[in-house]
Amino acid sequence: MKNAMQRSSLRLRGYALTGACAMYLLLLNVYPLQAQLAYSAPVKKYNYFQEKDYRITLQVKNEKLQSILDKIEKKSRFVFVYSNDEINTDQKVTFSVKDKELTDALAELLTPLRINYEMMKDKIILRPANKPNTPLAAGSSGAATTIEGAATAQQRADTLITGRVVDDKGLGLGNISVQLKGTAIGTTTNGEGNFTLRIPDDRKNGVLVVSSVGYIQQEVSITGSQLLAVTLVPDSKDLGEVVVVGYGTQRRISVTGAVDAVGRQAVEGRPVVNVSQALQGQSPNLIIQQNNFEPGQGMNINIRGLGTLGSNTPLVVIDGIPGGDLNLLNPNDIESVSVLKDAGTAAIYGSRSANGVILVTTRKGKKNAKPSVTYNGIYGIQSPRVTYEPVHAWENAYYKNESLANSGLPPAFTPEQIQEFARRGDGDWRVDNIVKDAAQQTHNISVTGGGANNTYMLSVGMMEQKNNFVGDYGYKRYNIRLNHSYDIGKLKLNTIMAYTKVDNTDHSFSAGTLLVDASRVPLYYSFRDSAGNYLTNPVSAQFNPKAILENGGYRKYDNDEIFGNITAEYQVFKDLKIRGVFGGTVRANQMRGRRMQLNFLPGGVYGDDREVRNENYKQLFTNVQLLAEYDKKIGDHDIKVLVGGTNESSKQQWSRMAFRFADPQLGIPTSESVFDPNNFGPDGTNADNGGRPATIETSLNSLLGRLAYSYNDKYFIEGNFRYDGSSNFLKANRWGFFPSVAAAWRFSEEMFMSYVKDYIGDFKLRASYGVLGNQNVDAYQYQTFFVNQQNAYAFGGNPATGAAFDLGNPNLTWEKAATFNVGIDASLLNRRLEVSFDYFDKTTRDILFTREDIPDLFGVGGSLPDYNVAKVRNRGWEIRASYNLPGKLISQTFSVNLADNLNELLQLTYGANERTVRKEEFELLRRVGHPITVYYGYKRDGYFQTPDDINKYPKFANSTVVPGDIKFSDRNGDGVINDQDKYILGNPFPRYTFGFTYTAAIKGFDVVLFIQGVGKRDAMIRGEQVEPFHFGYGGTMYRHQTDYWTPTNPDAKYPRLAEAGSASNTNNYRTGSDLYLFDASYVRLKNVQIGYTLPTAISSKAGIKKARLYLTGQNLVTLTKLSFLDPEITEFDNRTSFNAGANSARAYFLPVFYGFGLDLTF
Amino acid sequence: MNKTQHHMCMKNIFRNSFLMVSAVLLVTGCKKLDLAPSDRYTELTFWQSDMNVNNFLTNVYSNLYSSDRVIFNDAMSDNAHSKTAVSTQVDAIASGNFTIALERFRNEWSFYYQGIKKANIFLDNVDKNTTLPEATRNRMKGEARFIRAWHHFNLMKWWGDVPVLRSDISEDEAKEITRSPRAEVLQFVLDELDAAAAVLPNNTQYAAADRGRITKGAALALKARALLYEGNRMADVVTVCEQLMNDPSNGTFALAGNYNDLFSNANVNKNTNESILALQYVPQLRTWGENIDLVPISIGARTNNLSPTQELVNDYIMLNGKTINESGSGYDENNPYANRDPRLEATIVYDRYNWNEGGSPDQVIYIKPGSTPNGQNAANEYSAAGQGTSTGYYVRKFWDPSNPPGFNSGLNLHLIRWAEVLLMYAEAKASLGQMTEEVWNKTIRPLRERAGFTEASALNFPTSGDMMQIVRRERRAELALEGFRIDDIRRWRIAENVLNGYAHGARFGDPSVDNGYIRAQLRAFDPGKHYLWPIPPNERARNTNLTQNNGYEQ
Repeated sequence: MKNAMQRSSLRLRGYALTGACAMYLLLLNVYPLQAQLAYSAPVKKYNYFQEKDYRITLQVKNEKLQSILDKIEKKSRFVFVYSNDEINTDQKVTFSVKDKELTDALAELLTPLRINYEMMKDKIILRPANKPNTPLAAGSSGAATTIEGAATAQQRADTLITGRVVDDKGLGLGNISVQLKGTAIGTTTNGEGNFTLRIPDDRKNGVLVVSSVGYIQQEVSITGSQLLAVTLVPDSKDLGEVVVVGYGTQRRISVTGAVDAVGRQAVEGRPVVNVSQALQGQSPNLIIQQNNFEPGQGMNINIRGLGTLGSNTPLVVIDGIPGGDLNLLNPNDIESVSVLKDAGTAAIYGSRSANGVILVTTRKGKKNAKPSVTYNGIYGIQSPRVTYEPVHAWENAYYKNESLANSGLPPAFTPEQIQEFARRGDGDWRVDNIVKDAAQQTHNISVTGGGANNTYMLSVGMMEQKNNFVGDYGYKRYNIRLNHSYDIGKLKLNTIMAYTKVDNTDHSFSAGTLLVDASRVPLYYSFRDSAGNYLTNPVSAQFNPKAILENGGYRKYDNDEIFGNITAEYQVFKDLKIRGVFGGTVRANQMRGRRMQLNFLPGGVYGDDREVRNENYKQLFTNVQLLAEYDKKIGDHDIKVLVGGTNESSKQQWSRMAFRFADPQLGIPTSESVFDPNNFGPDGTNADNGGRPATIETSLNSLLGRLAYSYNDKYFIEGNFRYDGSSNFLKANRWGFFPSVAAAWRFSEEMFMSYVKDYIGDFKLRASYGVLGNQNVDAYQYQTFFVNQQNAYAFGGNPATGAAFDLGNPNLTWEKAATFNVGIDASLLNRRLEVSFDYFDKTTRDILFTREDIPDLFGVGGSLPDYNVAKVRNRGWEIRASYNLPGKLISQTFSVNLADNLNELLQLTYGANERTVRKEEFELLRRVGHPITVYYGYKRDGYFQTPDDINKYPKFANSTVVPGDIKFSDRNGDGVINDQDKYILGNPFPRYTFGFTYTAAIKGFDVVLFIQGVGKRDAMIRGEQVEPFHFGYGGTMYRHQTDYWTPTNPDAKYPRLAEAGSASNTNNYRTGSDLYLFDASYVRLKNVQIGYTLPTAISSKAGIKKARLYLTGQNLVTLTKLSFLDPEITEFDNRTSFNAGANSARAYFLPVFYGFGLDLTF
Repeated sequence: MNKTQHHMCMKNIFRNSFLMVSAVLLVTGCKKLDLAPSDRYTELTFWQSDMNVNNFLTNVYSNLYSSDRVIFNDAMSDNAHSKTAVSTQVDAIASGNFTIALERFRNEWSFYYQGIKKANIFLDNVDKNTTLPEATRNRMKGEARFIRAWHHFNLMKWWGDVPVLRSDISEDEAKEITRSPRAEVLQFVLDELDAAAAVLPNNTQYAAADRGRITKGAALALKARALLYEGNRMADVVTVCEQLMNDPSNGTFALAGNYNDLFSNANVNKNTNESILALQYVPQLRTWGENIDLVPISIGARTNNLSPTQELVNDYIMLNGKTINESGSGYDENNPYANRDPRLEATIVYDRYNWNEGGSPDQVIYIKPGSTPNGQNAANEYSAAGQGTSTGYYVRKFWDPSNPPGFNSGLNLHLIRWAEVLLMYAEAKASLGQMTEEVWNKTIRPLRERAGFTEASALNFPTSGDMMQIVRRERRAELALEGFRIDDIRRWRIAENVLNGYAHGARFGDPSVDNGYIRAQLRAFDPGKHYLWPIPPNERARNTNLTQNNGYEQ
């Protein structure tokens, strides 16, 4: 195991080395092959030498091999023997060893040159590595190399072992180390997974150790059979695994903070439309929520919940460049995603790290690999999951009469009319008829490979998600990516170019309004009459949603993003690298919108302004980085230093133009057209942009660094810092220093723990503390603005323009989050079971909020700017476990994650400890001592059942109640219900979020199950889904509302029916109580895949290396108590802000997907 | 590696790190972090532009005062009653039945301090502009200083001791500042007005395009008003008024030819030399809309929110100069509006009033319950429950005969006019016992002549009667419903007399109650505290240094 660890470090960080075979792994890939086949044997000089372990120090730069050999000869008194035809001694080499054993030094020098050597007494014989006397397996590309580096037993008769290493899906694995146990004899597999190894005859019953980074090491006995088949199972938690961290990579073993790595399995075979969706449930406390499921909608992403009243959105870094958009990335391009959760890992991102960081790394090619072409495709159908059902027309009429009668009003329908409804059947005005099944497909083709000096990965992908609304709407995304690397001596160049196009056609109206208009009309009515005219009715008197969807116009989004990243890395000397990065993004988005005029019968008109609109957005983001990395291993001491400086600059521009009364057919201006004066806000800002300016420029200058020290892979300590200067603050407050320290202790490595290590497993304790920043402030917010106001006053009889000021707060500064994390990683049962646990405690201070302690005489009325006043504490834990169960017939993996977080408002603002805001019936509350935002209102205490009840039980003053009305809990016991009796009813933010993945492979078949859910969440939901005949706006009742109070149903779910305006309705439905509170916890079967991989024997006949066919489904089964609304939907953004709407029930339905997929590798 | 090597190596690290960091600083240091938006001005760029400086001053003006204050403030006095004063809350103040948390107090306080902040920001920054001529900047400063003084004067008028803000204050200063004694506030106001007067042009020196700006005359007139309100500075009032009346360098002023035109004739309203300071409006673009709650319902009003009282109506004298109660006045309680001061008709709509729209035929306004002839709109009739008047009277003053949509008028609203200066002079002289025929003929007589009095008994210097009462009554009639009455009854200390008991309306009520005069609102005025308003409690919670006025401590 130790070897494996060192190997990985070698491979990725270029450390000093002790294990020879790792050396080959590293170097074989790097240097070109220059072999010649003709052989002649001029013999070189002779010298006598007997010391076996002669040590050598040598440093040459760009010298001919000939001269290096000469130098070694001088120092060692060995002579080299080789053929000039076989060995090109004119090739120039840069080489450096210090105090190394000669054998190691030679390995280091010669292996990259693909030269084997043998020591024979005083001679060293050189041969080309792939000389025919080294047999290769059939089909070998020649990349496999036999290594016979150690000076043991070379002269004995050999046995030739051949074999193939494949992964759990049967695909050949290249670059896998195969080593004879207990010796230095080993080799690596070629691109197809084949290897050949010549071993001494006396070891032919030995054991081969097959290992590689990212796979569970296998030991195979060499038995009679000499064609070995070895299957390696991926090990995501291999201690040798490398994790992408800020501005670099780290061995998993040396990670001191809380970082989660999500691999490609999160996207493979899943019909996810973007990366955010793919990440849901994959990492504990990576919480992803949605406001609705309409194609193209963004998602709320939180890491570890809510720590501030402002934005809680984590920083997204794609291929080292901050500020990426997860929704524009092709999920199929992803290699890995690292989720940085604590100060130990995130502090290097300084002022933007308080909400955590998501690092995405895209796929790259491999050196010396033949082109591999892969196709991945999924096609399927999404069905809208309609969760509520209106009652039949005749039932609705019956209930309406009951509601009227209960309110002392005459019935609306005669018994004959109700019978007529029953006889005639229902109309078709129901929400099911404005949605339909719709297709969704993704296709990706990628080509990867590499030569001796370069790698490439070219991928082209498309994704189309049709909209479930009737009409022809949908979201299409096209991605092209080229990741390319090239080595020029000590300079490594890496370029990434990616282009994304989004083509989204949306309807011309608001989805919420369309859904509510389609769903709260009773089934007395239909969308069209027999002549095909679109109708309106008394409940939806203005609009016909089906007509709007079918003919009402559109909004067409045409968005482009170009991402580029050029990295140049220069190896100054062995331990020091300098890296320069220039990267950035150009986004150009356009929206064209049109509203068509539709006239309905008997009345109502849509789009009579015939508006035509064009909106544009452009962003240029650039990022320059200059970094230096110094890595040094001295004995057991390992030191790594990273320092660097960066600038990130962004410029965004918006514009919008619209005119009304366009030509009804062409949408072009006519003489009656009017330019819409509200294109820009009255103060010269873009009205659609929340009043913010139409141009925003920001810039961030930073210095950053990391110092890591470890001893013997047992003790680790690491410090990170970032020093950020942001244009968002005034000079004096601009620079912020964000440090962190972290340490880890692999206590199972201690001597006294050897029992534990041998019989139980590995354990590592981690702890980190740091101060992270949140640059949660709009650009320019510290400055006082002056905005023009038309007609502010008048002089000389003419209006005069005024310049109003919008006060800034020059003292604005960073929010600071002091973050403590402690965690333990355990690897048990021979590393089959991996468990991690983390606990965190984060207190964010200087959070922006308005102040309530400033007297009005300050002179700005109610428009105070934001100040750094609030304070929030957020605590939680997360646990991850995975279990690998390999088997002869079936191999299975189980992984589960579970997490919780809970925030507490410690301080709201100067001058006030609480604030409420009314959301229709109920309220949202911010109160010190409770989570940031909670639901606030009355609690129910059953129903008034008898007149006696009514006399005894407290009520609202002046309210008249009858049996069947709700009793509210008299919290303070004063005999009357009033404001003092309100309770905190619930927390709208999810808790106990979890994900569970199960995979199984049986021969060619494989199964993936992915379950995700939320253990606790409260949702207050209002509107027609809760209140029958909602407020007079709604005309219907739903099936789930029919459990209402009657004298014979005294324990009903809902109170008695009564009309809006009646005393009962006012008491029951106009009072914000837990009647509107629902349990939104759920467990959802998010993804199921059942796949079959064709046997290679068959597929190879068609020239296909691998072919996998699978069925895949998404959102298939949901367990929840919330029957009539999707429990994943939230009305909040990711800060549970007061701006949330109260009508989350009117959200686009969850699409349930069924389809099939095909993976082909050529 | 030996120790020396190690040392060298570390040295290398540091040296390289240092070089790196330096290089990065060079690269990134060029990146500007002082960014300003390109589509709006910030402090970095704003004041350099002449136009911006002008625009900011315009914004200071926009906060000068408001139409609802001009028009509804009289409903706090015995001149009028407002029945549903939702936003102005003048009804609550008039009733004496309010809590100290009444929002009007907070809003009023906040309004003046918002105006002061704007003026202070202007004054603190205007000199950042280097391109406007110094003389222009000085004039502009004079305008801003006047407005700052105006707000302080109003604060002092309602609250007595108030914080004086001589320059813009920070949030923290706002939390600490204390109330300055009233005398100090007054001195600040007077000094500022002197300073403003010293640099401001007079009303003939401004270009036509600048008409409406604050003049030297306005500064002196406001100074006179501030002194007059003191009650014990009458000699100073005389001095300042005489500066205005005798020295043309302070401005050229004259009464408009027709009282009604002053408010309703667009040409006179906007161009008369009688107007010393007026809130400036422009038809359609910058308008005020109070008429919709003033005029008779049949004219198109939505409701009536300012109903003149019987007490006001009664104070209009007869054409012969006598008060209605004087013997020989000829007043007939059954025909009460005949032979009255013509300003009554120009100000108040009474039962069977001939409403002249200007052009279209006169419309008779029937207000007495049940008096509307069949077939005519009875909406104007007094009813305890209706949308119409609560006193039996509507308002005519301020009527815009152009009858703009929604009654949104572009006529100016006068804040200081020449008639007020004449009345101040008369009042000061009278209170000093110096009212002579000469003074009378310069003050009361021209006002009455302009109002339309012709009888000598009304125009000539009275040889008998209480001169103070005559002057005060003249002032009430001349300035009725322009917001002066509430100030006057407070400074004359007669509020407890006129604001206790019922405000009455016309004689449409129960004949057995108050002789049939409608009881519009019961009022109470506690002289122990109501002469000053309470400091808003919210304000005191945020600045604990602010003391409370007498009688409002809790």
